[in-house]
Amino acid sequence: MNTLRTEEMTLNMGPQHPSTHGVLRFIVRADGEVMREAVPDVGYLHRSIEKIAEKVGYHGFMPYTDRVDYVCAMFTNQGWGMACEKLAGIEVPRRGEYCRVIAAEFNRIASHLLSVGTMAMDIGAMTPFTHAIREREMINDLIEELCGARLTFNYMRIGGVGFDLPPGWREKALAYLDHFDPILEEYNALISYNKIYIERLANVGVIAADDAVNYNLVGPNLRACGVKWDIRKDIPYSVYPDFEFEVPIGSGQWGTLGDAMDRYMVRIREMAESSKILRQALKQLPPGSVLAKVPRNFKPPAGECQIRVESARGDMGWYVVSDGTAFPWRVHVRTGSFAAMGITQKLSRGLMIADLVTLIASLDVIAPEIDR
Amino acid sequence: MGAIGSYVENIKDAVTTIFEGMAVTASHFVRKPYTVQYPDRTEVRVQDTLPFRYRGILEVDLEICTGCLACERACPIDCIVIAVEKDPATRGMIISQFDIDIAKCMFCGLCSEPCPTGSIHHTTEFEGADFSLESLIRRFVKEPIHAYKAKKGPETDPRLAPILSRGMHYLDQWAQPGGDKPAAGTEES
Ligand code: SF4
Ligand code: SF4
Repeated sequence: MNTLRTEEMTLNMGPQHPSTHGVLRFIVRADGEVMREAVPDVGYLHRSIEKIAEKVGYHGFMPYTDRVDYVCAMFTNQGWGMACEKLAGIEVPRRGEYCRVIAAEFNRIASHLLSVGTMAMDIGAMTPFTHAIREREMINDLIEELCGARLTFNYMRIGGVGFDLPPGWREKALAYLDHFDPILEEYNALISYNKIYIERLANVGVIAADDAVNYNLVGPNLRACGVKWDIRKDIPYSVYPDFEFEVPIGSGQWGTLGDAMDRYMVRIREMAESSKILRQALKQLPPGSVLAKVPRNFKPPAGECQIRVESARGDMGWYVVSDGTAFPWRVHVRTGSFAAMGITQKLSRGLMIADLVTLIASLDVIAPEIDR
Repeated sequence: MGAIGSYVENIKDAVTTIFEGMAVTASHFVRKPYTVQYPDRTEVRVQDTLPFRYRGILEVDLEICTGCLACERACPIDCIVIAVEKDPATRGMIISQFDIDIAKCMFCGLCSEPCPTGSIHHTTEFEGADFSLESLIRRFVKEPIHAYKAKKGPETDPRLAPILSRGMHYLDQWAQPGGDKPAAGTEES
């Protein structure tokens, strides 16, 4: 009997592909529609940011940290600021910390909005993306008024923040939050509870909790697997202990615990939590200065330090070694997207090609953050 | 409920949730549009609607530049080049060159922060497209000019006073380091 001969096919997906969120390349070995394996090829966006730090000095590196992850640049700013402050033993004024948290949480909402919006778009629903982007633009407007830029903020400085809140900004921010909470409900009605959408996401790319831990997943990707780990709660930094908020974790309600739908819903619920934090922060905002006195010629004592911040893509680590000069001796950034990239190869085995797009989108990978 | 039952249930679910989504979309027919037609159909120029802190293309008010080079030193990518000389006659400073390479600039704002007079500042101008990189280098010094000398007390020169007060207003936006005093012109709470 003659059997139909099938052959394995090697496909290149990306680097320039609309669903890879930046430029990211996958080498896909597929048998028909089913993937044998998808191997991520990282390094395309490598810009030597860590090396640049050794050349431009401590203050001058702040705008570069924006480029590590341009979707949530406030967290990279904060990470760099915190690392330098820890090295030199600088204490940030309380109002400065509050300003940081406010800016960062707004940025988290904006980042998650982009993530859930592009996720819907990658799957084929165009409308939710415009809704999410509309809300993100409003947040960008607020941040623009605060620091003058919409994407590469360079808002924070070593020792605090570069700008205090402008007059009337607090009211505007609160008014925006009042507008945002119902919008989140509306967004859920628009797409999150859509049966077809749920069917596309549920049971796709299931990650078991111990796999997630072993592969070093962080942030919403880890929490969607049911692991309650949030740096803001577990290793508190800045003024996060002042606020009451929940850490949403995956429930497995729509399919299996740790599937793409769980990752999506964790992000949606995190936005509501961020909104809660923002309300408290805007209400409790203490008076005072926002910036500590830091010499222009900043030379921290020789030593090394490591700090962690919970960025929108999870636990972000900054490791800085100082040799006592005006330039850091070594800087290293550890980002969530890189870890998320590592697990795609395992998850892709046996997945449909169309689901690869779902998988990348649900992991919320930002290409420049992988390579730096 | 057998297979047929769940099949029908699924279809019912899909149809109702699609209708809920459609209702949200439909409600936008009666809402105000969020988008604007750029560039020619906005009522005011977009530049005029931007906040004061907007970090657009840099501008230098040479009249109030003290030639202190703080901006040149602060820029992480060295896109500012300033040349100052001592004037042998008056022993003041003369600025003979002040170039900013806008093509290299990343609009980070680190240069306008340490300026003592607010001379170098960002404008709300953002339309900087040009045909050559060369023409993106802004040369502010037309002919060598005496550097500004800060006076004790308020500025009295009627030509300089408005420029300086604008510069000072710009500086007020930046956070003042140290102390418990909030920066002037910012929110009291
Ligand atoms: S805005 Fe930044 S990059 Fe541009 S000239 Fe000033 S310091 Fe340099
Ligand atoms: S523009 Fe400002 S910082 Fe730059 S040299 Fe002139 S006074 Fe100094």
